[in-house]
Amino acid sequence: MATRKKKLEFTIRRFKGFLDEFKRSKKGIAGLVILVIWVIIALTAPLLTPYDPIRPRRDIGLYPAFGPNGGPKIAEALCVPSWYKYLPWVYKGYVQRQEQFHNVVIKIPGVKQEQQFFGPVGKNATDSHIFLSNPCVNVTKIEVQMTNGTKRALTKTEWNWNELLSRQISITTIFPNETIFIVHYYSGQDIVENKVLISDFKFTSSSSLNEWDYNGSEIATLTYNENGGTENGGCMELEFHKSGKVHILHFFNYSALAPPKSFMAHVSIKVKEAPCNVSIVFYRISPSGKMSKPFYLFKREIKPGGFTSELIMSSSDEVRELVGLAYHVNYYVYPQDLIFRYPGEYAFGMEVSSQGNSSVYIDDFNCILYGNAFGLLGTDNAPDYPRDLFSALVYGSRVSLIVGILSAIFSTLIGLVAGLVSGYVGGFVDEIIMRVADLLLVLPGLPLFIVLASVMKSTYGLVSIWNIIIILSLLGWMGFARTVRSMVLSIRERAFIEAARAAGASTSYIIFRHVVPNVFALVYITLATAVPGAIITEASLSWLGLGDPMVPSWGKTLYDFNTSGIAVSKGLSDYWFWVFPPCIAIMLLSISFILIGFALDEILNPRLRLRR
Amino acid sequence: MGLRGYIIKRMIYTFILIIAVITVNFVIFNLMPGNPIQQYVASLRGRITEERLQRLKRAYGLDKPLIERYFLTIVNMLTFNFGISWQSGEPFAKMILTPLVNTLILMGISTILSIVVGIIIGTLCAARRGGIFDSTMVLLSLATYSVPIYFIAWTVILIFGVQLKWFPTGGIEPHEWGRNPPTNIFEVIAGRIPYLILPTLTLFVFTVGGWILLTRATVLETITEDYVVTAKAKGLPERTILYKHVLKNAAPPLLTQIVLSLASMIGGAIITETCFSYNGMGLLTWRAIYPVPDLPLLNALFYVMALAVIIGNFIADLLYGVVDPRIRYG
Repeated sequence: MATRKKKLEFTIRRFKGFLDEFKRSKKGIAGLVILVIWVIIALTAPLLTPYDPIRPRRDIGLYPAFGPNGGPKIAEALCVPSWYKYLPWVYKGYVQRQEQFHNVVIKIPGVKQEQQFFGPVGKNATDSHIFLSNPCVNVTKIEVQMTNGTKRALTKTEWNWNELLSRQISITTIFPNETIFIVHYYSGQDIVENKVLISDFKFTSSSSLNEWDYNGSEIATLTYNENGGTENGGCMELEFHKSGKVHILHFFNYSALAPPKSFMAHVSIKVKEAPCNVSIVFYRISPSGKMSKPFYLFKREIKPGGFTSELIMSSSDEVRELVGLAYHVNYYVYPQDLIFRYPGEYAFGMEVSSQGNSSVYIDDFNCILYGNAFGLLGTDNAPDYPRDLFSALVYGSRVSLIVGILSAIFSTLIGLVAGLVSGYVGGFVDEIIMRVADLLLVLPGLPLFIVLASVMKSTYGLVSIWNIIIILSLLGWMGFARTVRSMVLSIRERAFIEAARAAGASTSYIIFRHVVPNVFALVYITLATAVPGAIITEASLSWLGLGDPMVPSWGKTLYDFNTSGIAVSKGLSDYWFWVFPPCIAIMLLSISFILIGFALDEILNPRLRLRR
Repeated sequence: MGLRGYIIKRMIYTFILIIAVITVNFVIFNLMPGNPIQQYVASLRGRITEERLQRLKRAYGLDKPLIERYFLTIVNMLTFNFGISWQSGEPFAKMILTPLVNTLILMGISTILSIVVGIIIGTLCAARRGGIFDSTMVLLSLATYSVPIYFIAWTVILIFGVQLKWFPTGGIEPHEWGRNPPTNIFEVIAGRIPYLILPTLTLFVFTVGGWILLTRATVLETITEDYVVTAKAKGLPERTILYKHVLKNAAPPLLTQIVLSLASMIGGAIITETCFSYNGMGLLTWRAIYPVPDLPLLNALFYVMALAVIIGNFIADLLYGVVDPRIRYG
């Protein structure tokens, strides 16, 4: 018993000594600090970011039109980080822009007049008007450059800027083929964050009505209904005494100089007794307080019955048609450009008209204006549901840590066993193990991983993260096995082994009690130094698209960038916040293990200790 | 055993390695659960004509028993008969040739560069071990182990291609050349050099750290030997001791490492070439995996890469025999 206690004491003392030495190693401490930070990030990922890294949605289940598990997208694609507005070199304000267009004149048979078409220089001229590529607040001048080189400014009668359609300019006179039109105009540039107009859109309390402005009480009364809404929640109830039209409006300030990138509105309506005409509408309010003509987004006759939930997207044909863009085959002009032309006061709301006494119940009524800035790192360009890049960064640490640590443990274990067996048993077994190790060492590593992962992808449809861990473990043991073997070969000849053998100890007893403790210091070092290799190989494989698409690894974020269709040179300078954070994360995580391994090597490796 | 015996022994070993690689390839593509190559050919049904499908099946020996298929594969691989692309109908061997040459150019230049620079810096580090120069270099070299190579590539593109606009960031030759490049060989070389610079720089940064650390460790090992102490006692200048006595004896172990560096370098080259759209084996590999894996092409590519490494290994062994007199007279 006493010996066991002494042994324990010895172990504790040795561990303390090791700890003291580790504390003195600056590299080791630096590595440990970085590693601990990453582990904390990985463990607290759901607290750090509310969004799913693969298929993110906001307000899941709150809008019936999306279904119980659905929700609207969290942001527009390719948003910049929201702290972009604090960067001094990001310009906010009206910028003068200059764009060049060219024309093609076509004589259409049967039509007397010639027809001219326009397009940006370098692209086909297919539009009957000039369409600017940015929303425009004022056109200052248009110059034309003829094919013979003469240049002049157009007079006011020769062109016509359609202020309502913002981006559209008509040229009234016909110019010869391939004339260049240089348009000078002002366009707003701003960093716009998402704006959710209604905070209590589920009408959970009667104070939710304070968000709404109502002034049709002589026609209908607006009250709060506690349990008449969807899922028996609260809602707005509008009770008509007589026929007429009322407006329920929410006034808000839109202060950005550029329009939002898109918007989405949602409403659930139920009508009792007589049918009603319901429309959803935006108004622009001039500084003098005058309301503009309504921009309708939705117009429907609602028949008596249960709740119907309606989803209004700015990109839908219905919205385009209602705001007056139907006949523009050309999709350069967007509804939001027309509505949110200038910063100022706006109103969002509903127009209800009834032919007689009826009750209208309104619930889940909200509008989200999607801006061009979001979150800490912006968004990627995934179709439909753009992803939050910060979530991808945070959750990626889990994948890298799991893959790195697990495959390091497995490969080190395999290496240890192979080395022990090979070194102690020797002979034919040794020959086979070492020849296999030699072969695997000579094979180019990453190409072999690529081949294995591609074969899996092609045969099973996808490469799961576990497959990658297995591949990495099965092909990462050779170096360590060699080291262990050479150590075992020298230990085997020592006197204490001979003594043990003479005392009648079995082979396995000798291996586990005498050989393993002597090589175990190496195990710690190898564990630490094998992790970065595994992390980088995983990151390289998923960078090549040979990872699980449902696992948010850092390499996958970069693969998404690679295959986004954005030119690399443009992407690197414009979307650096997409590309570089995962790269730096991979580097920091691997370097933490390298530093720890380095420190362990200095403390535990007897050869290095001797040299010092 | 003289030098000739040594060479013959290495040749036999190399040949066995090649057969082993073919076997590994065969096992991966034919014996993995789900029988990848069979499933791959089956997935082409409908995309190509039935007659071509049968031809493909015959080419991969899918109508023959496994053992016969194995020997067919060995013969095919040894004669560079990798099959025909089902998309273009071109033989793979022909598809691989130009990229292989391009990759060898890229890797050759960057390997030589990083070995030379790495050995110089590593020796200096070992000579001044413990100093500021040594510790910075060691830390920087360690850092390159922790960086995925695409990070280096993208940083290089951002700095030298996008911000400074010094060098082109993609492709292999000027765009204007199109289908008729200049016939003058010097003009071709001059035109292609700018396109080589950034990928070379990337691979150089990626590999030089390993060489620095390796040289440093090897030199540190030899610097404690008795003959170095003797040389010091003789009063020889430090430079002479370093380059005549230490480095000469550290050379053989460094040489063996070329092999391992080649194996890791090819992996780096795949990603670098993809980043720079440099028309080499790497870009071809990327095309063979994205968007849908093209298994036969991958099979051929992997074999060629492994072959390149094995032949590099063989050449390093021969050099070893020349450099290390113990082998010649042993």
